[in-house]
Amino acid sequence: MGVGFVVGVLGVVILAHAAYSTVQYRGLLKIMEEEFSNPPMNVVVELLLGLVLCMWAALTVPGKFMSIHPDSEDNRMVSLPGNLEFMIFNHRGKVFPSEVDMKLKH
Amino acid sequence: MVTKTEETELNRLENQVDNGGGGAWEYLCLVKKLKVRRSDKVLKHGLSILNDPKRRSALGPEVWTLYEQVATAAMDCHCLDVAQDCIKVLQKKFPESKRVGRLEGILLEAKGSWAEAEKAYSSLLEDNPLDPVLHKRRVAIAKAQGNFPGAIEWLNKYLEIFMADHDAWRELAEIYVSLQMYKQAAFCYEELILSQPTVPLYHLAYADVLYTLGGLDNLQTAKKYYASTIDLTGGKNTKALFGICLCSSATAQLTKGRNKEDKESLDLQYLAGAALEKNYKQRAPDKLSVLSSALKSLKIS
Repeated sequence: MGVGFVVGVLGVVILAHAAYSTVQYRGLLKIMEEEFSNPPMNVVVELLLGLVLCMWAALTVPGKFMSIHPDSEDNRMVSLPGNLEFMIFNHRGKVFPSEVDMKLKH
Repeated sequence: MVTKTEETELNRLENQVDNGGGGAWEYLCLVKKLKVRRSDKVLKHGLSILNDPKRRSALGPEVWTLYEQVATAAMDCHCLDVAQDCIKVLQKKFPESKRVGRLEGILLEAKGSWAEAEKAYSSLLEDNPLDPVLHKRRVAIAKAQGNFPGAIEWLNKYLEIFMADHDAWRELAEIYVSLQMYKQAAFCYEELILSQPTVPLYHLAYADVLYTLGGLDNLQTAKKYYASTIDLTGGKNTKALFGICLCSSATAQLTKGRNKEDKESLDLQYLAGAALEKNYKQRAPDKLSVLSSALKSLKIS
């Protein structure tokens, strides 16, 4: 959690810095009265780096992935629940007395 | 539904609790969540919590559901005194509760006084005519008395109102199977597969019913459902693998003479046989010879 979270924060900071540099660059262009052709190199690098860091953090911080395969150990059903709402009591267990006599003491 | 991971966890906790390693409350919670029937253990460990004032008070309001769980388990183990005591405690706490009323009805059932239980349920149903549990208990009363046609009638009436209740469909299917009314049981399993298509055990049960019915068409359909079970379980269901082998050999016997068997179904049965052999080699090497002779008698491998 700790490392992933720090990396995520770092990614967001880098993205924010890229936005700030873009605004500054546009201001600069206006002053120098030049046409916008393409963003400066450092902004592109920052954007890519920010994207990778944020994505890595988003994939690791929230937790593990669950399996979607029906035959994985987490999803494979091995038995149905005992139908407890239809439970009946006159079964074989009746003739076997319980080992120790149990009592509710209050 | 109990998945493999949950089953392992349950067995681990049960072992731990039985050997005095603690964790009784977690075990009881898991039993309740998975709806498995382990009444003797629930009674033993639940009572040990309830009889210990310190552990009891640590549970807070959860203690009342524990009383209910222990009461039901006690009835299943025929410790009717314990059940009676638990219900008394609950009644003192919740004097007007319907849920406690239901428990009293179940206690009457456990004592075998069917008429009184029936009367208790009818009076509870008057207040709340759409309580599914009460309707289900009526089915259980009929079943406990051995009155299967009555149970079927009640269940059909119940399913007309609560069509989406798959537990009830399953119960109906099991009653039909126990009465050897396989066509009706097959209908119920179809309904179950429609409502929960990802549960391999319904596919398996449906295939079993079709195989029991017999006939070429049914056998071929049964094979398909065994195959879908294998698909859903990743080949870890031994019964489905055996089902494929049995279906194949039965169809081969039926179509003897008119030998129009296609290559694909032959492949399937050899694959199933090979998977079985691999499983046995891994988990029970000493039974391997029994398996190979069985497969040989089915003319597979």
